[in-house]
Amino acid sequence: MEELTPSQNNWLKKVWFSLRIPFLAIIFALLVGAIILLVSGANPLEAYWQLFKGAFGSLRNFQRVLEKSTPLIFAGLAVALGFKAGLFNIGAQGQLLLGALMAGFVGFSLKGLPPYIHIPLGLLTGLLTGALFAGIPGLLRAYSGAHEVISTIMLNYVAINLSDYFSEGPWKDRSPGNIVSRLPAIQPSAEIPNIGPVPVGFIVAVLTALLIWFVINRTTFGFEINSVGLNPHASKYAGMRTKLLIVAAMVVSGALAGVGGAVETMGVVGRFQPGFNTGLGFDGITVALLARNNPIAVILSSLFLGAMKGGANTMQFYANVPNEIIDIIQGTMLLFVTAEMVIRWIFKLRKQQGTEITVTSGWGQR
Amino acid sequence: MKKRLYSILAILLVAGLLLGACTPKEPVAEPVVEQPVEQPVEKPVEEPAKTFKVGLVTDVGVVDDKNFNQATWEGVVAAQEELGFEAKYIETKDAKDYDANIQLFVDEGFDVIVTVGFALGEATINAAKANPGVAFIGVDQFQGEEVPGVAGLIFDEALSGVLAGVLAANLTESKTIAAVLGTDLVPPVVNYNRGYVGGAKWVDPEIDVISTYHPGGMDVAFTDPEWGASTAKQAIEQGADIVFAAAGNTGNGALIETAQHEGLFCIGVDTDQWLTVPEAHKCLISSATKDITLSVVELIKLAYEGKFPAGNYVGGSSLAPFHDFESMITDEIQEKLKEALEAYNAGKIELPDK
Repeated sequence: MEELTPSQNNWLKKVWFSLRIPFLAIIFALLVGAIILLVSGANPLEAYWQLFKGAFGSLRNFQRVLEKSTPLIFAGLAVALGFKAGLFNIGAQGQLLLGALMAGFVGFSLKGLPPYIHIPLGLLTGLLTGALFAGIPGLLRAYSGAHEVISTIMLNYVAINLSDYFSEGPWKDRSPGNIVSRLPAIQPSAEIPNIGPVPVGFIVAVLTALLIWFVINRTTFGFEINSVGLNPHASKYAGMRTKLLIVAAMVVSGALAGVGGAVETMGVVGRFQPGFNTGLGFDGITVALLARNNPIAVILSSLFLGAMKGGANTMQFYANVPNEIIDIIQGTMLLFVTAEMVIRWIFKLRKQQGTEITVTSGWGQR
Repeated sequence: MKKRLYSILAILLVAGLLLGACTPKEPVAEPVVEQPVEQPVEKPVEEPAKTFKVGLVTDVGVVDDKNFNQATWEGVVAAQEELGFEAKYIETKDAKDYDANIQLFVDEGFDVIVTVGFALGEATINAAKANPGVAFIGVDQFQGEEVPGVAGLIFDEALSGVLAGVLAANLTESKTIAAVLGTDLVPPVVNYNRGYVGGAKWVDPEIDVISTYHPGGMDVAFTDPEWGASTAKQAIEQGADIVFAAAGNTGNGALIETAQHEGLFCIGVDTDQWLTVPEAHKCLISSATKDITLSVVELIKLAYEGKFPAGNYVGGSSLAPFHDFESMITDEIQEKLKEALEAYNAGKIELPDK
């Protein structure tokens, strides 16, 4: 895909071509949101201004945006990598959840470790948990043909129930007075710190995105993943071990989601508690689609969604707007991104061969 | 391209106008209610010069949830009507926003911040430690240790149970009453039963109480109305003529089953179940309730007067209105209930262990 060395001008053009659809989708979603705000009797400009202030109005708010973006980056990378291999990993939510659970277990149960061992150990646990859990649908897909969409959706329920079981059962926080299902708080040595307002987890997320970009675009493994995603039959004919690649792609995807869960437990929540990781994996799908599966763009789209999530409560508080409006904007955005035909029709954009990135090759494109 | 853009904008605008035309006069949902109540003009002398502001942070969910969030907000509104202050709530959408939502009220200089639900306990305590001048009311938040500025509003289920037991003992003719209970893994459920048995035996030691706990785990104990119904039926066949149901939806099954039998009574739990289980109107004489709304009013008043307590604050327990059965509740029974309350507070009602 990157055979030519394009000139500066071409490069800019290329960036615009990959960014224009998400960009226009965001603008339109905000417009639709504004209309709904108007209809419900609120002032959209005031609402959006409060949303913006809630996200960037203070250092503390900005830190929340980074905190909210971090798991989205991991989940977004997980889904994007799956898409690259032609797999639709709807199971990112379940993988993230189990990663968060196991990191929570390692975080509270191991005592007396120094942070430089405890934190990496927790992250590694999340990574392995997510990888193993995603390996199941990977194997099923590769060797029995069971579609990963179905199996990952079902495994999400397995993950939810497993985490509920451990939070209410063997690993429940038995501290006096506690009545809710949750794990005990993690040890201070397992807490991922902040550098100023920047959570270390966010830095790890950004570095991971760069790493994934490198792997996808500059390594043989990445090339093979891309090939399998574009045309599994041709890849097989070319001598690639497609089944192994499918499993590997799922495993790496799950590992990313699992680390995301671990960072969430150890960097933000401070313990595993059911209900605190709801929807993150699914938001990863939005992030990946908005970023058109480009790992670098995943960082940007995560920051965008994170800012909306971070600013929502300020918007509710000062502009008297229900924060469900954020869901509406996000949904509309997703609609416009996926239904890019609509955007193309509106703006009469022509398809540029070679510059577009296949988004949903998992469904009906082969 | 421009033409199409214009046409789309035109469509959007028209859609906006049409939708606008369809909307009711009042905004559909007003999530954050700001009700700066006008100061009564008649008595300006008594009104303190300071502004007083009360904020409420819901647990994940909406404020009109027919449950804790709603009952608490109703308390804030009731106190507001009485005292006249600014009140506002914020609905929590993401459990990770507990701290941030509390902080919004702190930043705006609110005097009292009410947080609803055990899950907000940690966030509430942290906020109280960081903001000494603010009074925090934690609904359903048991305080393991006293933190200045935090009043954990908890309830004495045993007292509610005693009142239910005394009522049942006064109404029973067969001298056999029953309790259908959720799992004994949950302390409040056990306490309801301890009070119920203790209260009934306090009236008449000869009374036989058939108490049955759901044998399943947490996952099914409160969501098994069939078990509730069959357990109530068994107890009725054994001669019970009053059924106290303290088991969530499982208990609702017991209430509805009891309503199928002529001349029997049933007693609901937690809230006035007359409003939540209309199928049981035929037998529902009352409910053993937690006075969330009233207790929130009390605590806000204490904060208003500068007498805010810290630590656990045990909210009121009472029986819900008797509705259609008002005429059956004689002065004698009313008297007995009052007496029971005093006896309980004096520690004179003996409660069984389970």
